[in-house]
Amino acid sequence: MTQTETHTTNTTTDVINADPIHQKESLMKASIQIGGLTKRFGNVVAVDNLSFEVAQGSVTGFLGPNGAGKTTTLRMLLGLIEPTAGSSTIAGKPYQELVDPFRHVGAVLESTGFHPGRRARDHLRVLCVAAGLAVTRVDEVLDEVGLGDVGDRRVKGFSLGMRQRLGLATALLGEPEVLILDEPANGLDPEGVRWLRSFLRSYADGGRSVLVSSHLLAEIAQTVDNVVIIAKGRLVTQSSLADLADRTRAGVWVRTPQAQALREALAAKGIAAEVQTPETVVALETTTEAVGIAAAGAGVVIFEMTAQHFDLEEFFLDLTTPTTNPITQGASR
Amino acid sequence: MKNLIHAELLKLRTTRMIYGLALAALAFAAISAISAISTAGRSGGGPALSTAAGIRNVMSAGLPGGILALVIGILIMAGEFRHNTATSTFLISPHRGRVVGAKFAASALVGGALALLSSAVTLAVALPWLATKHVHVDIFSRNVGLVLLGGIAAMTIYATVGVGVGSLIRNQTAAVAIALAWVLGVENLLVSFAHEIGRWTALGAAAALTNQQTNSDLLPMWGGALLFVAYGLAFAAAGTRFTMRRDVS
Repeated sequence: MTQTETHTTNTTTDVINADPIHQKESLMKASIQIGGLTKRFGNVVAVDNLSFEVAQGSVTGFLGPNGAGKTTTLRMLLGLIEPTAGSSTIAGKPYQELVDPFRHVGAVLESTGFHPGRRARDHLRVLCVAAGLAVTRVDEVLDEVGLGDVGDRRVKGFSLGMRQRLGLATALLGEPEVLILDEPANGLDPEGVRWLRSFLRSYADGGRSVLVSSHLLAEIAQTVDNVVIIAKGRLVTQSSLADLADRTRAGVWVRTPQAQALREALAAKGIAAEVQTPETVVALETTTEAVGIAAAGAGVVIFEMTAQHFDLEEFFLDLTTPTTNPITQGASR
Repeated sequence: MKNLIHAELLKLRTTRMIYGLALAALAFAAISAISAISTAGRSGGGPALSTAAGIRNVMSAGLPGGILALVIGILIMAGEFRHNTATSTFLISPHRGRVVGAKFAASALVGGALALLSSAVTLAVALPWLATKHVHVDIFSRNVGLVLLGGIAAMTIYATVGVGVGSLIRNQTAAVAIALAWVLGVENLLVSFAHEIGRWTALGAAAALTNQQTNSDLLPMWGGALLFVAYGLAFAAAGTRFTMRRDVS
């Protein structure tokens, strides 16, 4: 196993660090670093001692159920919300200390950040002027997000999907090396989601970094390199998607009084297995039939056997289910 | 900072709201001047047009239109929170003090411009009409000039006070409603019926700016000017402080 398991002091949730070598590498070229970030709203802890980082040139999915604290975290990262404790940096600096932040960081935080009576093109023009960017960027980004034809329309006539695209256009104005997107797929039709995926992919492939939040793993699983999963404001896991997939391979759970003997019998047939307790073994990437045959051949007694069809989505749900707590549900406000 | 002020002005120009309010202010100036001239010297109207006070009364008739500058100021600030555009605004300039500063500057520019236009409308209505009544008005005389200048200053400060109000009261509709009810209701009553308190209100100060001691219940003009500027600065300081600390979510 390349994964190590540790327990944080203040939580019962397992924090599983991904491949430590990979992590050390990314530490050197992290474009976003979040350390011990905490936000309390009155008695509600929306974000609780959260630490993770986003490697340069990667797409990192920031996952968690609604109310897990994703939006609050992103707003703290962008200097919009004052953290109760902890710090965050983008390209090595707190957002407030970046010179011309719009040229370094593009962010899309919600689909409603537009004056309804303003034309899309004017919205972008205002931001260009404020940020000191060339106004020629307006038409470029409108074309880039596929809104070139509707730039002269007032935003109140825009669908949710069009607003998401306009939000993305806003973020792209300064040609930033870091993109931060909060639930960008909300309101996009399937074609729009596909477009967004390929857009983010090509964006990161150019050496730039993307941090994209979602409450649906499936929505971004095809796009991201790494995932950061939080629940109740706490880190559940940070790992590469490949590692996460490894941990969710289908397997067979077996109860047997001869755990060690079964593991050896399976190994002899080329089936990887782990002894979990003296009485239970989990055989990886195999079927109940194969385990049964191996056990019979070695004369191993089996009391109980269950096939486990993990998939990423279920795994994600398992990791984050405790959050159906109404108190934390309201915490992301 | 220059970029931010420019952007604030562009924000105003790219929605229809400002044109509606500006039109209302100009229409108000015209109607006030017409009503002041047609009722001058009659019972219930102002002093006769043959007197200096009568001319001042006509020239300052549009002053209550300053309240619209107050509304514009409120919208400049509270509108950002109403439509969540505050997020992009503060992302571009995480130094919020600069954003608020730009909004005060933009509101003063817009308030001042609107005041100039209002004065122009007042003059456009009054001068030809008064000429037909054989009343000669020298707009550069101390009598008329100070009234016009005071009116322009009042509208300019009203707009900046509005930005302050908009930062203190986050909800745009509530901010406009409370500000209007306060100035037109509470302060208006105080100025009319409780002079000792009324002269110290924003409305009393604004009225003093254009009054030139005709109404002894109000502060002298310079006093009104100082007090009204103080109101503007106090709201600016409070608004900036509030906006600096607030979480934008």
